Amino acid sequence: MPTRGLSQAWVTLAILSTATTLLTVQPAGIEARTFTAAAVLLLAGLKARVILSRYLGLHTSRFWMRTFDLVIGGFLILAFGLYLAGRTA
Amino acid sequence: MSGDPDSAADDGWGVLGELPGDLMMWVLIVSELLVFGGALLAFLAVRAGDTAAFAADQALLDQTAGAVNTIVLVTSGYCAAMASAARNVDRRDTARFWLYGAMALGCVFLIVKSAEYWSKAQLGIGIETSPFFTFYYLVTGFHALHVVAGIAILGAVARFDGERNIEIAASFWHMVDLIWVLLFPIIYLLG
Repeated sequence: MPTRGLSQAWVTLAILSTATTLLTVQPAGIEARTFTAAAVLLLAGLKARVILSRYLGLHTSRFWMRTFDLVIGGFLILAFGLYLAGRTA
Repeated sequence: MSGDPDSAADDGWGVLGELPGDLMMWVLIVSELLVFGGALLAFLAVRAGDTAAFAADQALLDQTAGAVNTIVLVTSGYCAAMASAARNVDRRDTARFWLYGAMALGCVFLIVKSAEYWSKAQLGIGIETSPFFTFYYLVTGFHALHVVAGIAILGAVARFDGERNIEIAASFWHMVDLIWVLLFPIIYLLG
C-alpha cells in the first residue's frame, strides 16, 4: 500500500498551511504586504500541486502534471496581477 | 482510466488514458476549478475597484477559523486517500475506518464554517451587506455545499464499498480540498 507518499503529502500540506498562517500574522507596510501576497499565492500553488500530484495521483503522468501546473500557475499569476491592480488603483 | 501509457494508447484514449482514476471525475474536477477560478478572479477584479472597502470587510473575517479549516480539510483528504489505498489491497474494514474519519473531519469543517456564518449574522452581516460579503457568502457557501455533498458520497461508498466507488468518492473529496486551498488565501488573506 503506497501510504508513505500519502503521509509525506499530508505533512507537506500541514507545513505549507502553517507557513501561510505565519506569513499573515504580522501586520506590515504596503511593500511587505505585496511580498506577503505573492508568497501566500505561491504557497497556495504548492499546496494545490501536492493535492493534484499525490492525493489525485497525477504524479503518474508527466503530461498532465505539467498541464495542471501551467493552468494553476496561470490562474495564480492572473490573481496576483488583479491584486496588484487593486494596489495601484 | 489506466495510469499505464502503453495500455492507454492501446485503448485509443491517447493522453487522456494517462489520467489516473475515472475520466468523468476529471471532467468534473476541471469544470469545478473553472467555476471557482472564475468566481475568485471576478472577486479580485471587483476588489481592484474598491480596495479599501474590501480590506475593511475582510478584516471582519476570522482568519484563524479559516486556517483551522485548511488543516481540517487537508487531513480529511489524507483520510480519504488512505481509504482508497486500503481498499486497493482489499482491507475493507480499514478503508471504512478512514472513510468515517474523512466524514467526521468534513463535519468539523462545516461546524467551524457555521460558527463563522453565525458570528457574521450576530454582527448583522448578510449576503447583501457589501460586494465583499456577497462574494464571501456565494463562494464559501457553494464550497460548503460541496463539502455536504462530499460527506454524503463518502457515506454512500462506506456502504457500497467497491474499489472504484471509493476511488471516485476520494477524488471528489480531493477536489473539494483543492478548491479550498485556492479559495482560502484569496478570500481571507490577500489584504
